[in-house]
Amino acid sequence: MSDDDHGSHHVNYLAVFFALCGFTALSVVFDVMSFENHAITIVLVMAVAVAKALCVMMFFMHLKFEGNWKFILLAPTTILAIGLPLALMPDVGVAYYTPTAPQKGEWGTEMAEYRAAHAHEDGHGAGYDADSDHAAEEGAHDEHAGDDQSSEGHDDAAH
Amino acid sequence: MKMGIPIADAKLGMWLFLGTEIMFFTAFIGTYIVVRISGGAGWPGPHDTHIDVFWGGLNTFVLIVSSFFVVLAHAAMGDKRYADARKWLGLTMLLAVLFLCIKGIEYRGKFAHDILPGHIPETPAQAIAKVDRELEAVIREDLAYYTYYELVSVDQPNDLATLVPQIQAFAQSGKADAGDVAKAGDSIELYKKWQNLHQHKVANVSLTAVPSAEVSAYREARNALNEGEKLPELTLGEVTTYLNDMKADQSYGAAVTAGVFDPHPVLYGNLFASCYFLMTGFHAIHVLVGMILFGMALYAGANLNENWLNWVENSGLYWHFVDLVWIFLFPLLYIAS
Repeated sequence: MSDDDHGSHHVNYLAVFFALCGFTALSVVFDVMSFENHAITIVLVMAVAVAKALCVMMFFMHLKFEGNWKFILLAPTTILAIGLPLALMPDVGVAYYTPTAPQKGEWGTEMAEYRAAHAHEDGHGAGYDADSDHAAEEGAHDEHAGDDQSSEGHDDAAH
Repeated sequence: MKMGIPIADAKLGMWLFLGTEIMFFTAFIGTYIVVRISGGAGWPGPHDTHIDVFWGGLNTFVLIVSSFFVVLAHAAMGDKRYADARKWLGLTMLLAVLFLCIKGIEYRGKFAHDILPGHIPETPAQAIAKVDRELEAVIREDLAYYTYYELVSVDQPNDLATLVPQIQAFAQSGKADAGDVAKAGDSIELYKKWQNLHQHKVANVSLTAVPSAEVSAYREARNALNEGEKLPELTLGEVTTYLNDMKADQSYGAAVTAGVFDPHPVLYGNLFASCYFLMTGFHAIHVLVGMILFGMALYAGANLNENWLNWVENSGLYWHFVDLVWIFLFPLLYIAS
């Protein structure tokens, strides 16, 4: 059975296509403009993405001309789409406590020095040399020992 | 009494499915948003992740054009212009293939730099350990030549400490031809260079401060220290220089270049790679499914008639959804990095 005839709603698909192209170009322009606060770029670019999504949904997918059932369908998914990140934000997103990930603990010092030396000179190899139980013949994995391998330990090895 | 929604069953079914697909992608995209915000200033930039806005933008344009063509195909089906519909569907297929090709180019770039989940070192220490590991793998493969062709025999071929002297003995024995002697010389030199790096890495001692792995060199450097001083630690810069020298070598440089990636620590790199491949991978799978849907309509050939109207419309809806997902993936992955 064919569905409802939408012939009375004449959509200029070409115009919608040009609008989409324009929005895409706009988001690239926003990226290239590189505002001093990166958050501004993200907000603008996501707004453009929402505008493009509405163009595709309303006109290409014809939702502008469909009945109210579209809200019953899309409302729960939209609520979930917004609710999931919001729910995870306090625990995972907004790190208002110091995370215990080892690489982040040393990251500040290590990477600052590493970047300062343009990645080819200084940069400490300190901290997570975790092959203390290394067996060379097996090609062991690099695991996070989490302990600082201090130079004091070398004295014992040499004697 | 009028019941139900005034659209075809198949269309309602497709919309319900798209609702579940929205939830499916929301899970990954929402998680990426949360994880990206938690990374904050430490999140890798496009230089570290090898993300190029150009390819992403091109893919966006390709999908938008394909969405437009799908809409034209559906309009043609409604007007019973079936030849036109086939043309637009065919073009949509071509654009889908183009999308996957561009994706393939991007993925190949990632593989070339070993940007894969679990493969990326996140600190200089991890990068040094990775170089050590990869170099060991190169050496093992190099030395396997001798055991594979049974030029030497050892009880434990994996035990390099006993294997290497055997190879040396083999080279000096007179039973080896000139090619093998030269090759053995290279293999042993390569092994020694790796051993040097490995010892320094395990002891975490600078390659320049203690020039060799001999105990005498180590003691000499230690004796030269003043009260309370420590030997300088191994740095990533030294390892990079050491590795580049090895890569430039005439004999074994090619093997080392092929087997060892340039060390490049990226904080949160593994998290990024995980999210990236998950999102774009699932999206690519959905593109493939869309191609199957269009393919089946095209396969009908001249039999594409009014019976296929719903199929084309629903395939179009599915394809627009695929386009929608990419419309959100593009700014999140390419611009918000």
